[in-house]
Parts: sequence; C-alpha cells; structure tokens
Amino acid sequence: MSRNLDALFVQGVSHHRTPLAVREKFALDQDGAKSLLLDLHNFPGMQECMVLNTCNRLEIYGLADTPEVANGVSNYFCERNQIDPGLFNRHAYKQSNMDVLKHVIEVSSGLDSQMVGETDIFKQMKEAYDYARNAGTTGMVLNRMFERSFHAAKKARSHTAISKGQISIGNVTVNLAERIFGKLQGSRVLLVGSGEVAEQTAKALYSRGVEDITVTSRTYENALQVAKSFGGAVIDLADFHKHLFHFDIILCSTSSPDIQIQGSEIQNALQKRRGKPMFLVDVAMPRDVAPEVEQLDNAFVYNLDDISRMANENLEQRKSEIAHARQILARQAWWLWLELRRRSVLPPGHNH
Amino acid sequence: MSLAEIPTAAPQDPRAWLWVATLVYASGFGIGIFFARKGKGIPGMGFLGFVLVGFAIQTRGLYFRGMDTHACPLGNGMEQLQFIAWSFVVTYLLIRFIFKLHLLGLFTTGLATALCAVSLLASGLDTHYWQDPAYNRLFNSPWIELHAAVAVFSYGIFALLAMVAIMYLVQHQALRRKETSPFLRYLPSIQQLEQSAEKLLLMGVLFLTFSVVVGAIHFSRDPAGVTPAKLWVTIGVWVAYLAMFFLHRTGRLYAKRFSQISIAAFAFALVSMVTVNKGIKDTSDPGKKAPAQHE
Repeated sequence: MSRNLDALFVQGVSHHRTPLAVREKFALDQDGAKSLLLDLHNFPGMQECMVLNTCNRLEIYGLADTPEVANGVSNYFCERNQIDPGLFNRHAYKQSNMDVLKHVIEVSSGLDSQMVGETDIFKQMKEAYDYARNAGTTGMVLNRMFERSFHAAKKARSHTAISKGQISIGNVTVNLAERIFGKLQGSRVLLVGSGEVAEQTAKALYSRGVEDITVTSRTYENALQVAKSFGGAVIDLADFHKHLFHFDIILCSTSSPDIQIQGSEIQNALQKRRGKPMFLVDVAMPRDVAPEVEQLDNAFVYNLDDISRMANENLEQRKSEIAHARQILARQAWWLWLELRRRSVLPPGHNH
Repeated sequence: MSLAEIPTAAPQDPRAWLWVATLVYASGFGIGIFFARKGKGIPGMGFLGFVLVGFAIQTRGLYFRGMDTHACPLGNGMEQLQFIAWSFVVTYLLIRFIFKLHLLGLFTTGLATALCAVSLLASGLDTHYWQDPAYNRLFNSPWIELHAAVAVFSYGIFALLAMVAIMYLVQHQALRRKETSPFLRYLPSIQQLEQSAEKLLLMGVLFLTFSVVVGAIHFSRDPAGVTPAKLWVTIGVWVAYLAMFFLHRTGRLYAKRFSQISIAAFAFALVSMVTVNKGIKDTSDPGKKAPAQHE
C-alpha cells in the first residue's frame, strides 16, 4: 500500500470560523464520535483516520489512497449526520499535506485553542489518538504524526511561557460571580452535569468561599462523587428544575443534545427570588441553557465563547511568547514532514 | 465670579471658596479616574484627603454665604445645589465605613464636581436676594428652617442613591454586554450596589418624612406661608420615594428598573425644586419680595 502525503488531510469545524450556534449542529457525543471513526475507517480509499471531538472542534484526520477521497469523506459525514453540505462547506476548513502537520502540532500545543495556551486539548487529543490506535484505525503516518506532535507540544510549552498568565474557565467564572454577588460565601451553586470542566469550576468557586454546592447529573454515582468532594448534596436530574430559584450560580456542562433549562423556568425562578440575580455558566456543547434566557433582565448567561474570550484578554501580553512557540512548532512540523516523506517512500515493512 | 477671578477674590468671598472646593473635588475625581483606568487601586487615604479638603473648603464657603444671608444658605438655586452636594459628601463620609463600596468616593467627587460646577457656572442661579431692602431673614421660623435643612439633607442622600444607581447600571450594562476591564473589576457587585441603594433609600425616606412632618406642623400654624405648587411638589416627591421604597421592599421594583427610577426620581426632585422656587419668585408680591424657600 503506497503512502501519498498529498492524500494526508484534516477537515472539520472549530471555534475559529464557526459560531457556537452552528457548532452545535455538528456536535457529537463521545459514542457518536467513536462510531463515526469506525465508519470512516471502512470508507473506500481510507487508509488511516482519527476523529477529534471536543466542545470547540470536530476534526477528521485521515490518510487516503488519493487526495480526492477527502471530498468523499466530507459528503459522507454530512449525509451520515444529516447536515446540510452547504452549511458544512461554508464553515469547515480542509487542509492537506504539510499544512496538516502544522495544524496538528498547533492544536496539540494549545495555540489553536479558544483559550490560547490551555492544556486540556492536549489531553483530549491524546485520548482520541489512544482510542483510534487501539481500534486499529491509525497506522504508521498518523501514529508518527500524533506522537511527534505531542512531543512538539511539550517542547513548546517548556521552552516558552505560552500558558503563563493564562486564565482558566474557573477563574473567569469566579471573577464574573464576584461582579454579580460580591463575596461568594453565601452563594449557592448548582452543577448540572458532573464533567471535568464543571468540577474544576466548582473547585475555583469553592476556593473563594462557596460552601453550598449541589450536583445533579444523569449518572447518580458521578454526581455523588463530585458532591462529596465539596461536602455538597445531590438532587435528581428530573427534579432540579423545581429548585432552580434556590441557586445563585448555575453551571451547566451536560453532554445532552437537548436544552436542559428553558427560559420560562428561569423567569419563574427569578420571580421567586424577588430581585436577586442569577448567574448561569453554560459550558455544554450543545448548549444546556435556552438562548432566550439571555433576554431576561436579571439573569446573566455566559457560554463557552464568552468565557473563552474573557480568558484571552491578556493575550496581548503573551503575543511574543506565542510567536516564539509558533517558530519552534514550525521547525518541528518541517522535521516531521521530512521524516514522513522519507518513510512514505520506503516499503511498509520499515515501520517502527 | 469666574475661574479667572479666584486669585483676586476677597478671602471671605463665598464663591471663591466654593470654586476652590469644586477644583479640589475635580482633582480628586481626575486622579481617581486615572488610577481606575490603569486598573490600579485608588490610594484610599490620599483620595479621602481630597474629599475631606474639598468638603472643608465647601463648608467654609457656605459658612461665609450664611454670614451674608444671616440664615442657612438655601435661598437660591446655587445655594441649594451647593447644599445638596455638601449633604451627599457628608453622607458619603458617614457611610463609607458601613457600605465599603469600592469607587464610591470616585463617583462622589464626580457628582460633587458636576453639581458644584453647574451651580457656579449657571448664570441667574445665584441671585443676591439678601441685598434686597425688603429682605428679612429667609427663615423667620425655626420650624421651617429645620424643615428646609433636613429636606435638603435628604436630597443629598437621594443624590448619593442616584449615584449608586449609576454605578449599578454601569456594572449591569457591562455584564450584559459581557465586557471586562480592570475598572469593572473594582466596581462593586450589582448585588452590593442594590443592597446599598435600598439602605440609602430608607435613610432618605426617613429624613424626608421627618422634614415633611416638621413642614406640616409649620403649615398647620401658617397655611398662607406655603404656596399650593410647593405643597404639591413636596408631597409628590415624598410619595414618589415612599412608593419606590415599598415597591422595592415587596420585590416589585428591583434591579435595572429600580436604578433607572432612582435616577429619574432624583432628577425630578432637582428640577421640581428649582421650578418651585422660580415660580414663587415670579409670583411673589414685589412689596414683600420673599426669597425662595426650599420645598
């Protein structure tokens, strides 16, 4: 089987070109992403593939027999997920050959992230790659590409200060909560969904004195585990709507495809709170909080894009570090490309 | 009196003192804005120094004017605006330890600068009513003097309430627009501002109610001494603030609307005060030439 680097491609959507409301249409849950990966591997002409699915991006990495296969992949993806191909083409990016290497290295290092310099993407990419490798959907080229990109990301991080001063979702949430409520000691927090982001944000709030943290989740055990770590309580996912008015800060991070909190529910809660404001942080993809909640006068809703924009406010100060990191990564991409070129002309038996 | 006249003004000229006080407030405001925009904390004691010096000079200026009029200086628009500014600076100095609101001093100096500057710059506000041969003392009854002083003091509190409401709207709007800046991080939270506004409203309503009660005692003894316009405007302002207080306490008026109405109510109170005084002056008997009285 020949390995043509011209047929190495990446295509997908991310926060760069696609607003949150459109990204929601492409969003897959983890099971959906795994199933897509296996289907793509069986796609005619596909040699290797990997799917990266996070709240900010959905990307398909692949090595095909010919460059034309990539077009077939995007059509197949749209058909499979019932997405308008026109919409996908308007928002998607497609890269091939050397550009894929540059892209993968920038993504794994956090330079392409919505919150520039963040480290979560490294972990997410590693998990996606491990899954693909174990499933046998990657081969010599993608294996080498991802392993070298992880190495390059670590190097960029250790040789520059791209993450220094970088603000997390938790810090931004705390700052906003303090602008709404002042001291947070008396604030009551509800976590809807018990994912990692929710837990980290709850930790940040807890460290600023929030003592009353309640968790609700589809999985009772997960909710209980998170609640225990904060000395909090668990409420049933089916019941939490009735108790919304008790909470000052509501942090949503479920993986549910449906809206979890409707506008009318927050309106009722606000009426019962007699003028006390509510702060809703929605880091779920797709969103958990109905868009009309933003129109309510005393409800302050911040989604993933809002929080990320605020976290990047000190980006100017880190610009020189980011430029330095890009130089390091570009060199790494070039060496990787040369290596893959050399390997691609060798027979398959020379794989390491 | 203009800015150019200050150096040559007589040491006991109240306007010169009031101009200097305005400049001190303005300097405090300018320096505060500089620090706030840089995202640095405003040096507390230094800033308080500006407020205290400005306040002391303003008090001196009002004292000299009181010596001229032989009464509490509330007889024309300039004096009333100055007295309101003086009252809310007093209120700020008294409550700053209770409320502990960041940037309250900054906004206080800003509003004090604006009110003092308008009172001194607006031509026609500062009539020399006490030089009229027919001038007797502005307040020939201690009851009405107490009534006027307490009423204007309550207006000072309502001015502070309006300022807290402005701070609320600035923070609220920034949160709605999802803006962030060092200045906004220093600004108190909307919940703190609303709680402070409620306390100020209560204080203002209590003082104004006391003033209305004292005024009512005077009115019962001398009904002819109060014009219908003044009576209705006084009652209107009092009822408006009372209604605001009860609507807020019962959870029917809050957040942005509460702040907007607090500002509108103060503007109404201010305009009505000037209007009533103007009306009295225009319709007063030339033979008597009774000076304008507050409320």
